Amino acid sequence: MQLTVFNGSPRGKGSNTKVLVDQFLDGFMKGNGNSYKIVYLNTTKDSDYLIKMFEEAEKFLLAFPLYVDSMPTIVKTFIESLEPLCGRKENPDIGFLVQSGLPESIHSRYVERYLKKLSARLGCSYMGTIIKGGVEGAQAKPVWMNKKLFNSFYQLGKTFGETGKFDEEIVDRLAQPERYSKIHLWLFKLFGKFWYWDTMLKKNNAFEKRFNKPYLEVK
Amino acid sequence: MTSKKMKITILNGNPQADNIKFDSYIDTLTGLLKSNRHTVTAFKLRDMDIKHCIGCWSCWVETPGECIISDNSGEICKSYINSDFVIFASPVIMGFTSALLKKAMERLLPLVHPYFEVVNGEIHHLSRYDRYPLMGLIIQKGRDTDEEDIKIISDIYMRSAINIKTSLRFTKLTDGSVEEVVNAINSI
Ligand SMILES: Cc1cc2nc3c(=O)[nH]c(=O)nc-3n(C[C@H](O)[C@H](O)[C@H](O)COP(=O)(O)O)c2cc1C
Repeated sequence: MQLTVFNGSPRGKGSNTKVLVDQFLDGFMKGNGNSYKIVYLNTTKDSDYLIKMFEEAEKFLLAFPLYVDSMPTIVKTFIESLEPLCGRKENPDIGFLVQSGLPESIHSRYVERYLKKLSARLGCSYMGTIIKGGVEGAQAKPVWMNKKLFNSFYQLGKTFGETGKFDEEIVDRLAQPERYSKIHLWLFKLFGKFWYWDTMLKKNNAFEKRFNKPYLEVK
Repeated sequence: MTSKKMKITILNGNPQADNIKFDSYIDTLTGLLKSNRHTVTAFKLRDMDIKHCIGCWSCWVETPGECIISDNSGEICKSYINSDFVIFASPVIMGFTSALLKKAMERLLPLVHPYFEVVNGEIHHLSRYDRYPLMGLIIQKGRDTDEEDIKIISDIYMRSAINIKTSLRFTKLTDGSVEEVVNAINSI
């Protein structure tokens, strides 16, 4: 099986998207005769090349971080360039990976509807959308902290490499929680990732300025 | 009759100069809003220098509230946050608003705060400012745009509105009259 992956993160090779895709590909490559190509949209501006990569793909995975409830600009630019290929018979099967900073998958469900419709618009067979919340910071964590997450993506890639399908059970598991329960919301308020921002703010000597309102016009 | 005089920002996300119909719709709208005594700032995004958000978090943890990339996006942020109403406007391209409008929207990130809060039982980011403008969406249908596309776009903007600490008041098509939009704004 041949798989072409486009990484749509503006952070490219330093992205959370990359660490998840890498695990998926490790699993995928366990399958006999499988091969892949990967393209980083943040550094590849040649739209003819991108279109050609899409045209030649057998299976196509578009992976990106959720950006203001949809796809990053570089991903939308790529999608716009595919307009001439709508309905082309030989278009690849297409699947998506959307990972977000906010922890619940509800945030990504809206763009999921868009992606499903996009597949129909292109005339691509839709393989599904993998959704994973709470991924911000994953790329900077020590390996042991990501073990469970990485293993899921590895397994997902492995079964995909064998069957050409996303394992529904793993996809469902990754998408938990859809929303937080009351107790989880309460726990989040107590232990949520505030330290994540505070650590960076302090390191940059910006902690005291964290509530700045630089654009406010005083009336 | 105008009930309330408002400051309105329009983000014109039409990427193509030859889509004259779209720009003239926005021009007519701007004129009519002004004659209703609103103050209007309309940004033609394609003529501006707006770079992509690179996800560096500087606007949250280095220069809080401000982006480190120097281009025209600061102007937009300033007009945006000091407005009562913001109109996002774009032709529909491949079932969604333009990459151009998306680019400008991502650069609004400095307007919110990195900290989290619970909104309607979901985690979202905290407000940085005390008030945020209400939001409206105007789209121009493409050849293949159907009802489902419009619903998807509108729902995504409804979600984005939550993330920029406001609510989406309407989604209007450029097929309709500008009066309709002005009435919707006047009735707020
Ligand atoms: C401009 C911008 C907008 C974002 N919008 C959202 C959002 O709407 N919802 C969300 O959950 N996360 C949002 N995020 C967070 C990213 O999805 C998250 O940090 C992700 O893990 C980044 O992945 P990457 O390293 O692969 O780029 C946003 C980040 C940036 C920079």
